[in-house]
Amino acid sequence: MQKIIKKYPPGDFGIWIIIYIELITFGALFLGYAYSRRLDVELFNKSQLLLEQNFGFINTILLITSSYFIVKAIEIIKKDEKTNTFFVASNYIFGAISLGVVFLFLKIFEFVGKYQEGINLSTNKFFMFYFLLTMFHFLHVLLGVIILFNLYKKTKIGGYTKSNLMGLETGASYWHMVDLLWIILFPLIYIMK
Amino acid sequence: MAYGRFIMDNFISINLHNEIIRVLNKMNKNTIIYIALLLLTTFTFLLGQKQNFTFIFTILVLITTFIKGQLIIDYFMELKNVDLKYRLFLSIWLVLVISLIGLFYFLPST
Repeated sequence: MQKIIKKYPPGDFGIWIIIYIELITFGALFLGYAYSRRLDVELFNKSQLLLEQNFGFINTILLITSSYFIVKAIEIIKKDEKTNTFFVASNYIFGAISLGVVFLFLKIFEFVGKYQEGINLSTNKFFMFYFLLTMFHFLHVLLGVIILFNLYKKTKIGGYTKSNLMGLETGASYWHMVDLLWIILFPLIYIMK
Repeated sequence: MAYGRFIMDNFISINLHNEIIRVLNKMNKNTIIYIALLLLTTFTFLLGQKQNFTFIFTILVLITTFIKGQLIIDYFMELKNVDLKYRLFLSIWLVLVISLIGLFYFLPST
């Protein structure tokens, strides 16, 4: 069976311009962190020990699962085999939103914890990067949750169908980008020594 | 293999092998990718728990991160069956970022 190659990526092409720009921006920040680490490896390694790896791990699982739920929602609408397609798909999106919200609360808990320990953006270079990267990512997750909520409302009323998925795919692509960024951020900031 | 047997039958029983294949065939592709992402994430996390985080661990984490990123690009972002240039942009970005991170980690510190 010949593989069908689509001309354009899923969703509105405009979101892909945004995705490419965001990836370049975050890529530069990741490399900035890795380069700066070379200037004081001991400081970075010691500061990293003050982070909770468990939180980072849970947050990674949350975002991966959330992305998977969005993939399932689109899959269900594309198959359109059941009478309750929109109900099931919207439930998956709601699940994705819930996981995204849990991620946000865990991050806030982490930030507050650090602040209470007297650690902030100006503590040292490691924490400058930690707060810059994770807060910047936090804002993207927050925007993603808002986007998903709008997708949820429209999916629930059957606003997306097999032949009209562009809006859903656009939002989904953005959400997967947020997940992709965290996939790199977590090992870089929390794990690699 | 000359008798139509799978090479892993030397290490696992044919019944277990058949059961694994049966379960994998029932699951859809996206679910398999999701489970793979969970396992790779857990692997990275467990490596991070090690007290003496060696050069090999850094390589393993970088490779794992690349695989996870590429799986998301290909399957979750659905770029696997899209015009190559859109997929290539993200894949090249992923390779460049991970390679340069690795390079900065392995260069002697100043």
